[in-house]
Parts: sequence; C-alpha cells; structure tokens
Amino acid sequence: MSTHTETKAHSAEQEPIDVHDPRLTNWDVLREGARRDDIEIVHYEPPFPVPGTKAERRLVRVVAGFFLITGLAATAFLAVYIWWPWEHEAGNGADKFYTPLLGLTLGIALLGIGFGILTWGKKLIPHEVAIQGRHDGGSPADDRKITGSTLTYMVDELGVKRRPLLGISLLAGLAPVAAVAAAPLVGGLIKNPHTNNQMFTTGWAPVEEGGTTHLIRLTHSDGTPIRPEDVSVGGQITVFPGIPGGATNKHADSPTLLIHLRADDAQLAAENNAREDKADYMWGNYIAYSKICTHAGCPASLYEQQTNRLLCPCHQSQFLITDNAQPIFGPASRRLPQLPISVDEEGFFVATSDFKETVGPDFWERP
Amino acid sequence: MKRRKKIDVAALPGKAGGEVDDRLQVATPLRALLNKVFPDHWSFLLGEIALFSFVVVLLTGVFLTFFYDPSLSHVVYDGSYAPLRGQSMTAAYATTLDISFDVRGGLIMRQMHHWGALLFMASIVVHMLRVFFTGAFRKPRELNWIIGSLLFWVGFLAGFTGYSLPDDGLSGTGLRIASAIMLSIPVVGSWLTSSIFGGEFPGEVIMGRFFIAHVLLIPGLLLALISAHLGLVFKQKHTQWPGPGRTNDNVVGERMFPRYAIKQGGFFMIVFGVIALLGGLFQINPVWLFGPYEAAVVSAASQPDWYVMFLDGSTRLMPGWEIHIPIGNGYVIPPLFWPTVALPGVLTMLPIFYPFIEARRNKDNRHHNLLQRPRDVPNRTGLGAMAIAFYLVLTLSGGNDVIADKFHISLNAMTWAGRIGLILLPPIAYYITYRICLGLQQHDREVLAHGVETGIIRRLPDGRFVEVHQPLGGTDEHGHGELEYAGWVVPKKMNRLGALGPAIKGFFVPIEKPVEAPVSPGHPPVSARTEEKEISGKR
Amino acid sequence: MTSDTPADRRGDRERGLLARLRRGRSTPRSRGRRRVGAAFRLLAALLLAGGAYTVFAPGLNAEDTPQLTSAAEDGRALFDVSCVTCHGRNAQGVDGRGPSLIGVGAASVEFQVGTGRMPMARQEAQAPRKPPVFTDEEIRQLGQYIQELGGGPQIPDGDLKAGGDVANGGHLFRVNCSSCHAFSGGGGALSSGKYAPSLNDSTDRQIYAAMLTGPQNMPVFGDNQLTPEQKADIIAYVQESLKTDGDPGGFFNLGRYGPVTEGVAVFLVGMVALIFASLWIAGKS
Repeated sequence: MSTHTETKAHSAEQEPIDVHDPRLTNWDVLREGARRDDIEIVHYEPPFPVPGTKAERRLVRVVAGFFLITGLAATAFLAVYIWWPWEHEAGNGADKFYTPLLGLTLGIALLGIGFGILTWGKKLIPHEVAIQGRHDGGSPADDRKITGSTLTYMVDELGVKRRPLLGISLLAGLAPVAAVAAAPLVGGLIKNPHTNNQMFTTGWAPVEEGGTTHLIRLTHSDGTPIRPEDVSVGGQITVFPGIPGGATNKHADSPTLLIHLRADDAQLAAENNAREDKADYMWGNYIAYSKICTHAGCPASLYEQQTNRLLCPCHQSQFLITDNAQPIFGPASRRLPQLPISVDEEGFFVATSDFKETVGPDFWERP
Repeated sequence: MKRRKKIDVAALPGKAGGEVDDRLQVATPLRALLNKVFPDHWSFLLGEIALFSFVVVLLTGVFLTFFYDPSLSHVVYDGSYAPLRGQSMTAAYATTLDISFDVRGGLIMRQMHHWGALLFMASIVVHMLRVFFTGAFRKPRELNWIIGSLLFWVGFLAGFTGYSLPDDGLSGTGLRIASAIMLSIPVVGSWLTSSIFGGEFPGEVIMGRFFIAHVLLIPGLLLALISAHLGLVFKQKHTQWPGPGRTNDNVVGERMFPRYAIKQGGFFMIVFGVIALLGGLFQINPVWLFGPYEAAVVSAASQPDWYVMFLDGSTRLMPGWEIHIPIGNGYVIPPLFWPTVALPGVLTMLPIFYPFIEARRNKDNRHHNLLQRPRDVPNRTGLGAMAIAFYLVLTLSGGNDVIADKFHISLNAMTWAGRIGLILLPPIAYYITYRICLGLQQHDREVLAHGVETGIIRRLPDGRFVEVHQPLGGTDEHGHGELEYAGWVVPKKMNRLGALGPAIKGFFVPIEKPVEAPVSPGHPPVSARTEEKEISGKR
Repeated sequence: MTSDTPADRRGDRERGLLARLRRGRSTPRSRGRRRVGAAFRLLAALLLAGGAYTVFAPGLNAEDTPQLTSAAEDGRALFDVSCVTCHGRNAQGVDGRGPSLIGVGAASVEFQVGTGRMPMARQEAQAPRKPPVFTDEEIRQLGQYIQELGGGPQIPDGDLKAGGDVANGGHLFRVNCSSCHAFSGGGGALSSGKYAPSLNDSTDRQIYAAMLTGPQNMPVFGDNQLTPEQKADIIAYVQESLKTDGDPGGFFNLGRYGPVTEGVAVFLVGMVALIFASLWIAGKS
C-alpha cells in the first residue's frame, strides 16, 4: 500500500544508528525502524515488569481458561453435530434443539477465542503510545511538477495535436466497439412488454375456438368450476381462470376475488356499478374484483364483510367494495378492476369478458 | 543423519525470511506495515463490525450455494417437512427447504447468513452515523464517504436479491412489489420490468438472474468497494480525536503489530461468535411457514427486511396522488414512483454531495484529521438528528401494521401519525438537538472558566454558602480559568481530573487500586527507555 | 362493531319508518313542531308496540313453551339474565345496541360466548377475546336456546380435525386465512382499529365455528365453500403444525412477526452486544 512513502521521513533530532551494531538489542533496532517510518514510541509500559507475579499468573490462567473453553465448546459442537438427532420431526422433539445447540456451542467457541485473544492483547502485551507523522496534503511540489510535465510531454509524444486524424479516427473506431460490448447484453435482455398485449390482457380473455367464443369459467385453485351456491352470503373466494395453468404464477395477474354480498349491499353495489356504466357486471348478489392491488401488485384480499372493505396488507390501501372498489384510504390511486361475471347454462360462473381496466400496478403507458 | 544435525533450527526462520526477501523484496514495505500507527477509540470499531460480518456472510453464503438451485421449474416437495409434503413448488423454494431440513447443519448456516446480512447493514448505518456526527467525512476523506454511502446501497441490493432467492410466500410478495416499483418509472418502466423479468411477472428467469447477481456481481462490487474503502483509510490514515499530543499532522495510537492486530483478530472472533449465537438461538425468516410463492397468496404484516423498511414506510405514507398526462391515450406517473424511486434517488445524492455543501458553506478548504465532537458543530448535529428522525418515522411506518395490531392502535391512525410525524418531527429534532448542543458547549466553557464542582460547601463570613470549585488550570485575577477549549472532553468530576480518558480502571466494576505508574499519553515517563532495555534484555 | 349479523349493521338504514322519521329532516324545526313530532312519534310507537304485541305475543307464547327443550329453557334463563339488555327479548335485537340473533345458530353462540367476546364489556371497534363468563355447559344451553329460536349453523360433534391432511390444510390456510391471520396465525391489523385475532388460543370448535359463521368482519366460509373435510385439514394444520410444532430455528422465535422483530433484534441484541464489546476492547483498563 502506501506506507513506504513515509520511510524517507526521518526524525531529525536523532542520530541515525547502525542497525548492524552487534551491541544493539532487538528493541533498539525496532525503535530505529519505527523512526525510519516517522514513528516515535513515546510511551512503552509492560504490564508486568517483574515476571511471575500473582497478578500475571492469574491473567495467564484467565486467557488459558478462555482457550480451553473454546476447545470444550468446539468439541461439544462436533459431538452435537454428529450424534444429536437432527432430522425434522413434527412436534417438539429433540431435533428442535439441534440448531440452537450448534449455535450455542459454536458461539461460545468463537467468543472463547475472541475474549482469550483480546485479554492477551489488552492485558499481557505492553501498552504503548506511538506517534506517527501524517504528511498529507498533496505530493511535494517538485513531484507534481515532474508528473504534470511528463504527462503533458506524453501527450505531445503521441502527437495527436500534430496528427489530429489519428485521434479522430481512433475515437470513431472505438465508439462502435463500446456499442458492440453493450449490444449483446441489452439486445439479449430486452423484451417488449407489449408482446401479445400482455399488459392489458389476463387469463380471463374469452377464447376463440373454431368460430365460437368460449367464456372462461371461474374455478378453484384445483380447477373445479364454481356454482353460485358455493359461496355463502358474506363470504368470499379466490377464483382463477378455468384455463390450463390458470391458478399458477404464469397467470399472476388473474387471481380474482368473488364476493357474495348481502342483499342490501349488493343493491348499493349495483347502483354504483350502473353509475359507472358497469350495469351488467354483477350476477345477482355476486361481485368479482381483481385480487391484484392497483398500487404495488400485492393481493388486496383482506375482506371485511361488515364494512365491505378490501384491505391490502402490503401498504394498507383500502377499497370500498360497494362503490366499484374505489380506493378510500392509503396510497392506491386507482380502483380495483371489476370482472364482469355471469352464470352459464350449466350453472357455473363465467367471466363474460376480460377485465376492461388494466390489472395490477400502474405504469407509464396505461391509458 | 549427521547432515541433518547441522541444520540450526533457531536460524531457520531468519534464513527462510532471507530467501523470500531475495526474491520478493518485502522487508521494507513489511516494516512500514508492521509499524503503521492506528488511533484507538471504541467508535472506530463500528466499521469493523461491517467488515467482519461481511466475511461471515461470504463464508456462510458459499456453503449455501452448494445446495441451492435457482430455478423456477416446478417440483413436488418430498422432503422432511411434513406440512409441505406433496405440494407443488419451485425448485428454488424446495432447495431452500432442503437446506433448512435435509442438509445437516444447513439451517444454522442459513440463519447465520441472514443475521450476518442484517448485522452488516446495521453496522454500516451506525458507522455512517459515527462518521457523519464527528465530521470524519471532511477533506481529504470525501471520496471515502461517497464510497461508504454507495456501500449502503450495494449492500441494500445484495440484501434484497438474497431475500428474494428462497421464492417463499413472503419474499415473492416483495419481488412483486419490486416489479411494481420498476413499472412505475416513467417512460421506460414497462420495458425495464419486462427486460429484467424476461417477460411478464414473474416469468421463468428471474431467480437465475438474481442468483448470479447475488453471488457474483454484487459481492464482487462489494468486495471492490470495501477494498477501496479500506485502502483509502490506510493511505489517508485514520482520523483521531483531539487530545494531548494529538495534532492535525500526527497519529497517536498503537503500532499495527502486535497489539492492534491482535485486538482486531479478537474482535473478528467476537463478531463471528455473536452471529453464530444469533443464528443458532434466534429463528429468522422461517420460510417453511410462508409456503411457496403464489400470486394469490399474501400474509397480514408483510414486511421487507429492516433496511428496506424505510422505503416500505414511505410507500405506505404516500397519499394516492396520481399524475395524469393527457397526451394521446394519456400517460400516468403512479404514486408509487415518488416514495420508491424518486426518494431513494434523493437519499443517494444528498449524502454524496453533503461534504462539498458543508465545505462550501463554511468556506473551508483545509485538511481535517482531527474529529469534532458533535456538540461543537450544532448545525451539522441538528441536521443529522433531522435525518435520523425522518428515517425513523419511515422505518416505523414500514412496520405500522404490526405496531397497530400489537398495541391496539387504529391502522389508519398509524398512517396519519406517520404522515404528520414525517413533516413535524425532523424540524423538532433539529431544534432540540441544536439547543442541547449549545447547552453542552456552554457547560464545557463554564467548567473551564470556573473549575470542577467539588461538592465542598463553604460558608462565607457574611453567612452565604458557596460551593468550592477546583480550577482546571491557572486562573486570572478574578479566579477565572485561562484554559482554552481544545475540542475534547472537559473533566467535570473530581475523579476525572488528570485523566485523558476514564481514570477508573475496570469495565463493569471499578478496580480500586492505586496505579503503579501513572500513565498518560501526553506525559510520557521520562525513564521509558531504560525500563524497556531491561525487558528486552530478559527476552 | 357491535354486530355479528347483517341485521344490526343495516339497522339504521333499514329499520324503516321510525329511524327515518327521527333522522330524515335536515332542516331545523321549531320547538313547537318538534313537540308535535315527538307526541306523534310517541303515539305511533305505542300503537305499533301494542299492535305488535297483540299480533305476536300470544303466538310467541304459544310457540315458545311447548317447543323449547329443557336445555334450551336453561339457556333462555341465562339469556334473560345476561344477554337480554343488548339482544332484546327473544333475541330479537335492540336497535343501536345489539343485533338480532335469530338464525345465527348455535355455532355463533359457541364462538362468541366461548371465546369470551360476549357478553361485551363495552362498545368498541371490535369485541376482544377474554376469559369466558359462562361454563361450557351453560354455553351449550345458550346455544341450544338460540338454535331452537331460529335455526342456523351448528358445529358437528366429534373430533373436528380427524383425518385432517396437514399439507393440504397448510395450502388452504395460506389461500384463505393467512391474508388476515398472517402466515404464523398470529393475527394482523385491519382497517380503522379492527383486527384479525391471533389463533393461538383457539380451540378446534372455535376455529370451526368462526369459519362457519364469519363472526364480526370475518368472511363466512360455509360448508359449500370449504367442505367439512377441508375445514378438518385447516384445523389440523393450525392445531397440529402451526401451534404444536416447535421452532427448529432457535429458542427464540421473535413472536414469528417476521422482519419487524428481526430488525429490532439485530439492533437490540447484535449491535448492543458488539458495541459493548468494542467499548471494552478500546477501553483503557
């Protein structure tokens, strides 16, 4: 690193000593070395000048004790690791102590070394106060001048000023090379978000097949379709589009909440629906809203059946079910999209069309 | 056998050293390294906690990579944890469960990795506060301050990508929010999101990409930044507190070897040990309770890890203000954009520029190697308190549903308290801190002028009672001290007199015994040399 | 919320004539007109009450006595002491105080009284769980009384989690329950001071009853939506796994609250321990 820049510095007041002088002790040489690094050891105090005192022996025992604790704990760790029943079982058996015991033994072992070393360092090694010069604030003026001139001269040597075409052509050549490095990365990663209009469609879009349009059924997560009598009054159920993989994360924007409102709430909801041109969106007292919050995409599914609110647990946006799932509190700015539903001739719920509003969190080009 | 005996064992290390130096020429730089002086103060160890926990996280993380599979392909779980057996889930989640239940000792490694990461971020923040409040970021250390604040954000990314890897119900929700945050960026949002996720959320590739970012790209960047950070500390030498003998042009402390290095080694073991205890005794992120991520599944009280919580809080407090741009079909800037993209942008830029702003305000172009006590710079300390208040309100709001539930407060009231608190508390914090700083300054000056209270009450001839004050130095004709404030602790109790630091020995309980040779760095014993000679002679 | 059934919640809106007469005018009226109005209302109320009595009372009396079993009679006695203030005579409900209990079923009674939520201590956002006032036997009698008054959902007898599949129960729990009660079953906050309670103290029958009846703001999960077998799976998951299985990750599970308590712990335990360590390391002694 940087430190040898200081070696030149030398304590002015001290005569340099010959480090090869055989009469010098290691300490003398060390101290001379420190001086060459511009360090003055102004205070040096061995904690136990007289060897073998009671206090010293006690400290040595403490340090040794720490190290022995480490040995014991590490051995215990190995024993636990090998012999303790570790395979997970239901209930509150011995296996639940496996991880805590490993942590305890490992922790004690490591703390033992730590405290042992620290006690050794703090109490048994001589205390010292050393002062080292700092010498910051830029390089010597000469060096600045020399480096600056060298760099300037280098530029002149290259002769770009004399032969400008070289510089220009080099730049012209290098710029595309940089683009070449970036192109595969950008080109490989980039994906059009509007492929198949995917930001505006969900699994609920009716399927065209041989000239006829199939409406998508509302299903449980296992794919079984849902009848009106499957949802109790004041109940709600998470429904998925009845298409292959409809309940998987492939259709992460499709989960929908089907709610069976009580008669008077349903009437209110229908009135508010009609006001927003959604007169036929409900079926009977049943109403269906996208479960994906329009704020950040969490499932806004905490249904309060008395206050008719939907709460999102991520950022606490609250939506009023009886009023087109209008946001009434929190950071959401847009109501939950409503799924128009009906019941087909077999008596199962179907979506009469895809969501008319964009599902999920907002983005720039949402109309 | 005879030949072998000729080898002088005692001379071996020296000979080997000579051979090495012949080839590598290390003696000179090694001497400088061994001799380098470091100042000693407990607050200088906070950054070390971050460094050491980073090492632990690297070690445990390597272990985890042997067993984790960053794949979103679906498997049916057939491991030891019965409540999830037979469930369809991604390979990423299944292998995380395997690490927890079917790899011997895997759970403690996972937990140590997670605790280590939380500790890494916590110590970065605490270290950053220390550097800020003591003015250690001033010239010539602005660059290192910038690297440090970037380290927070890179650590943030490392944490978030790692938190997402298990693909459990909680982290999947977090990932969904992350995708919504990217979506909210004006103009490029949808393109950015679909490019990162390889299509519509969640896609098939995100775990692989997050994995390589989490185990290679981000740690590489962290390693590079940490090396630069330490390299600069080394090159520029550590700052120090003012005090006897300490000037702007020197470093007073201990040489790197042996004592300082030994303390560092011991502290590393302590950090490692604390992480091991946390990892073994405190359960963290029990992914088996959360189940696999499904788009329709969520839990009450969904939170990110603590260092992301301030952004979650800002998102919760943000009113639903949507900006609609009526051009063509119309364009939208969603409310999510401001607290999660714009705010972090500001929070990154402000600290980066702060050293230059402060230097400009104070017209200060000098080098500063001595730290300032927070009380001596009330303006900066107040600003710091303001920032802390702002951050705390946001972080608490990130957990406001848990607070609301456990302390029986209305959730809506918590949100409103956060909104109002975010505006009101920072200025209040500034004002109060400023006044406290002035008060402390005042008291320091008072003690310097009048001396330390002795507790001795004297009755004056006219019947009044006064307390006797012990002056700290020489006094003028009015009995007022002539000492200048030196930017360092002013002793305010009798038993602190004559001590640079605490004069009472012992950490928890004072060890009441006379000090054999009073030691003070400012006043080195005159006979130090002879003492040392005796010792070295005995070696 | 005072209410457990729709009747009360829409009470103000629907209880028709009287309520509308009382609240309907927005313009202030003169004292005289108010007096006249009051007199008219009193008269109307008397007439109505009298009329209702003459129409229903004999009938009710005639129906009550022969149909109530002895258990229900005991329940009725308890009801008339402890519940009648809010829920009215014959559990018809009292406007602004307590909802009608006709049709709520024995399941509701068992949940509300069995968890100590009823009788309520005071009107607040939500009735909290507290130690039950009545014994199991008394609760059974009360339930019998309400059941015989108006029918409604009942909890089946026997082991409600018999044959429950823990894994499937976990899946159903996460889809249907965790959004409010949290992955750990520890509960969570709802809007404006309401909350989903912790499941820690719930018995099998209470969980079953809650799903069946949808107390307070909880949605109803009738047998058509979650079959009794699925309910058994959920109860098995909650009782046998969530609450019984020890935490494999340590002696302290930090309340299973997730990152909030984990964040607190890393500062209060980790940082505090390490700052103490650094104070000691850099200390003078």
